[in-house]
Amino acid sequence: MPPNFLPSSIVRAEGLEKTFATAGVGPGVPAVQAVDLDVARGEFVAITGASGSGKSTLLHMLGGITRPSAGRVLLEDTDLAALDDDGLAAIRRRRIGFVFQRYNLLPELSLEENVALPLVLDGATAATCSEAAREALAAVGMSHRAAHRPDALSGGEQQRGAIARALVTSPAILLADEPTGALDSVNSANVLALLQSLVRDRGQTVILVTHDPGIAAAAGRIVRMRDGRIVEIVPGGSAACATEAAPR
Amino acid sequence: MRLWHLLLRQWRNRPGRALATAASVAVAVAAVVATWISADASRAGYGRIAEALDGIPVVDVSARGGGRFVIDELPPLADVPGVRAAVPLIYRPARLLLDDGRRITQLAVGVDAVSLVRLGLLELEAGEPCRDVDELLLDAALARSLGLGVGDELLVPARRRLIPRRMRVSGLVKPGSAGWFAEGADVVFDIQVLEAMSLATALVDRVRVAVAADASRPKVQQAIAARLPTNLVAEIPAGQASMAEDVLHSANLGLDFVTGLTVAMAFFIVGNAMLMNVTERRRGFSLLRLLGATARQIRRFVTTEAAILGAAGGLVGAAAGLAAAGPISAGIARALQAPALGFAVQPWILPAAVLLGFLVAVAAAWWPAREATAIDLLEGLAAAPAPPPQGVPLTFILAVVGFALIALVNQALVILEVLPPRMTVPGGITLLLAFVATTPILLPPIVRVLGWFVPRSLRIEGMLATEQILRQPVRTALTTGVLIVAVSNGIGLGHAIRDNVDDVLGWYGRMMRADWVLSHAGMLQGVAEAQSLDSKEVEKEVRALPGVASVEGLGVTTGRVAGGACVIVARDVPADQPLPLLPVDATEAELRAALDRGDAVAGTVLARRTGIKAGDEVSVEVFGRTVPVKIAALVVDYTSGGASLHVRRETARSLFGLRSADILLVTAEPGRSEELREPLERIVADHTMILRSFGEVQRFVDRIVGGVVNSLWAILGLGFVVGSLGVANTVTMNVLEKKRTLGLLRAVGMTRGQVTRMVVLESLLLGAAGGLIGLAAGLVTAVFIQLASQPLLGHPINVTFRPGVVLTNLAAAIAVTTLAAWLPARRAVRLDLLESISAE
Ligand SMILES: Nc1ncnc2c1ncn2[C@@H]1O[C@H](COP(=O)(O)OP(=O)(O)OP(=O)(O)O)[C@@H](O)[C@H]1O
Ligand SMILES: [Mg+2]
Repeated sequence: MPPNFLPSSIVRAEGLEKTFATAGVGPGVPAVQAVDLDVARGEFVAITGASGSGKSTLLHMLGGITRPSAGRVLLEDTDLAALDDDGLAAIRRRRIGFVFQRYNLLPELSLEENVALPLVLDGATAATCSEAAREALAAVGMSHRAAHRPDALSGGEQQRGAIARALVTSPAILLADEPTGALDSVNSANVLALLQSLVRDRGQTVILVTHDPGIAAAAGRIVRMRDGRIVEIVPGGSAACATEAAPR
Repeated sequence: MRLWHLLLRQWRNRPGRALATAASVAVAVAAVVATWISADASRAGYGRIAEALDGIPVVDVSARGGGRFVIDELPPLADVPGVRAAVPLIYRPARLLLDDGRRITQLAVGVDAVSLVRLGLLELEAGEPCRDVDELLLDAALARSLGLGVGDELLVPARRRLIPRRMRVSGLVKPGSAGWFAEGADVVFDIQVLEAMSLATALVDRVRVAVAADASRPKVQQAIAARLPTNLVAEIPAGQASMAEDVLHSANLGLDFVTGLTVAMAFFIVGNAMLMNVTERRRGFSLLRLLGATARQIRRFVTTEAAILGAAGGLVGAAAGLAAAGPISAGIARALQAPALGFAVQPWILPAAVLLGFLVAVAAAWWPAREATAIDLLEGLAAAPAPPPQGVPLTFILAVVGFALIALVNQALVILEVLPPRMTVPGGITLLLAFVATTPILLPPIVRVLGWFVPRSLRIEGMLATEQILRQPVRTALTTGVLIVAVSNGIGLGHAIRDNVDDVLGWYGRMMRADWVLSHAGMLQGVAEAQSLDSKEVEKEVRALPGVASVEGLGVTTGRVAGGACVIVARDVPADQPLPLLPVDATEAELRAALDRGDAVAGTVLARRTGIKAGDEVSVEVFGRTVPVKIAALVVDYTSGGASLHVRRETARSLFGLRSADILLVTAEPGRSEELREPLERIVADHTMILRSFGEVQRFVDRIVGGVVNSLWAILGLGFVVGSLGVANTVTMNVLEKKRTLGLLRAVGMTRGQVTRMVVLESLLLGAAGGLIGLAAGLVTAVFIQLASQPLLGHPINVTFRPGVVLTNLAAAIAVTTLAAWLPARRAVRLDLLESISAE
């Protein structure tokens, strides 16, 4: 068994590779190479690395947004590669929550409606939808803005709304790609605190991509990438702080 | 909340987008409805003119071997569908002795005049139909030339009676109204009276069946033939497929083309609108997919929206189309000078239009819906749309080849007469699709080349405009598709119609190049042996008039060739004048030589109907005699619809005994035509002839021709209006999509003027490129229509390249697209700088 694998994993990547074809010229861009990764239920994992190191690409493969060139992703023991497009869509709808840096919400819909979207797509009843949406908004502390349109919210509020939407289906994992990238430090701290509380209070599994070492440090494990490969996996949280603090 | 709530939200949030899409459907449906109704109005108008020229369409029943037959042999025909009346006819020469001692010989026809007047098949200018033994009707023009009126009396000698019968003119026949059965007879008796006078009880020459205007003549002919005993035949008489029908045939084909192409255009417009409507929401759809929406959900979303917008647009479009059709139809009626045409609005047109909008919209949404789900999720989420693929897409090459092949095979089948001529329309439209499909292939080089002509001072604007056009190949193809249709419509039909019209006018110019036409009443029967002397005298008299440049005599009679009726024209053409016939596969000199040898030449329509070819020897039956005649060549001729045989007068005399000159063509010295009116009228009065001014005929032909041409232009104009809306839509879309780029450019110092110029240039380049491809498509369309007309006309029509038509259409395309840039240019200039930079 490869060294990174855990026995009780909720998501597992085996030998993941992604090469982007470049139109006609050259052999293609190897964005991710030979990545093995295991994430346990309730874990908070941060992926860091320089720009272009393959963080987003890895996250997309874990979330069934892109298919790997080689290797496979097992989500709750389901091989994503074995699913057709509709099957993948169903997985995304029910088992995965996404938060991006920006453009997470449809501008036409109110916050509550945006949050309810995955359930609506899944064909849930109107009552179920709005109840679940309200619950999710309450969990991120945004109940009071439920009826507002996204463009009436601040960047931080929008991101909290996006997190609520990611949570509304009680997904197996929450994937976040630089959710604080477009926010100021106060808002960043708020969003981070929210993610931490979700992990702590609800046992939510979170995989977070970030540039910011301060934010990465809040995670339980930190995966460092370079040139498409995982170069190092270190414990985060106090452990990481401890290792960094030690030489001081 | 359901997914369609999202739809409602999107409409409420961006009503402009939904409205613009529905408006595109409305424009497309309106164009189809208006074109459809206008084309119908044109067809009806053409039909009326054809009737006015041809008279009432008829089918003749006559004895198989020629001669008379017993009327009792004829089964009843009145209940055959499409039959208005079956009219037994007898023709006899009749001598009329006037009280002042003048004697004239006329062809008389015996009919049941009372019934005909009652049925509206015979119109009287004055008096009553003849019913008694001592009553007759005279053609009003003849009566005038004789100085007779209602109530006047004259003597009519009858066989085996020593004393001529004294008869009274009971009424005057409106000139032309008896033309459909009288065959030139200007005296009308009751059929029983004429029978008694000629001692031929119950024998008729033929039964002429009047066919309802909306019935198909060949079908009626077949139905009648099925009932006849073997010794009788049903035929369409030779004189009845006239020039008018030929012009109209091509015009009708043109109308079919326009209607079909408008439907194609509707697809392009709606397709384009749908594509943009969906493309604009690319990120939204991608986000939905990211959240787990299946491809089917997205497609259903797009299709539902298309269906609703399509039906709504269809409803509005139908109303607008009906509104537009009114004035257009009225204008067409005016152009055709057809009285009170009006257009019938069928009650089904509204639901049909809504259904059309619905279907077109749903069909047009198919591709964008597919695109929305087929693109890469992450690409769809990206801020800017992906750059266009490099190289020529294989799909388009396959489409071009496929469409072209289908069109060519179809056309080959039409030419080989496996398919009817009308089937050329779907073929032509398929060919046009092939041209539209070349757009993504041809557009880059064309736009680049056109870019060279952009002045240096506009380099930046030109570059940006070019880039804009090339980055969205499908959108550009759909936009230029609309223009290609409009331009090729204009050029193709412009050429086809003008060629046809020129063909007819060319014949007219050759055949009727005189100023005045003098004819004997009853000329077609060649009964007047005595008239040949008379006409020589007339000819001499006319020649002696001051101001006469030349006089030409024509002998005309009817006969039968290979079982079909034909008109025989005896005419000498002076060597210094052009031959009034257009030889097919022969030179004019060869034709003259053949005629001089005593051979005949046959009209192409006659040749087609009877199967005779150049070089054949055929039996021609005239005046009961059958003589062999050699057909030296075929010629284009519209006399009697081209079912004619032409010989020299000397040949006619020796072969058929045809001596008379029934028609004198008088040409005046330049500018002196009107001077001749009075002296000619005097001569005509003295010799019981009828004088017609060629100007009247010319005016009538001009009127038809002008009407045909104008009505087509009106309909084509519609195409350009619709095309301009399509371009406006596309360029607006390009502007909105480039909001960010434009904002950035403005931020770094691009002026409003530059932005405007860029947008206008983009429009112009689209217009010019679409115009050029449309030009090629149009010329091919013209050849297509002409090739399809060939089996009917029996001869090819030359396709003449007409720079005027081409330039008008190109100019229209460019003007229309430049105008179309106005709205998007305003949008572009008004974009809020900050907002467009932060646009996400
Ligand atoms: N669609 C694509 N086509 C071609 N190459 C791509 C594509 N997407 C990503 N890449 C390349 O793959 C590599 C990894 O990209 P990725 O977006 O995963 O990096 P990242 O670590 O998320 O960077 P950042 O921190 O800047 O977001 C980069 O070199 C990038 O250029
Ligand atoms: Mg990234």
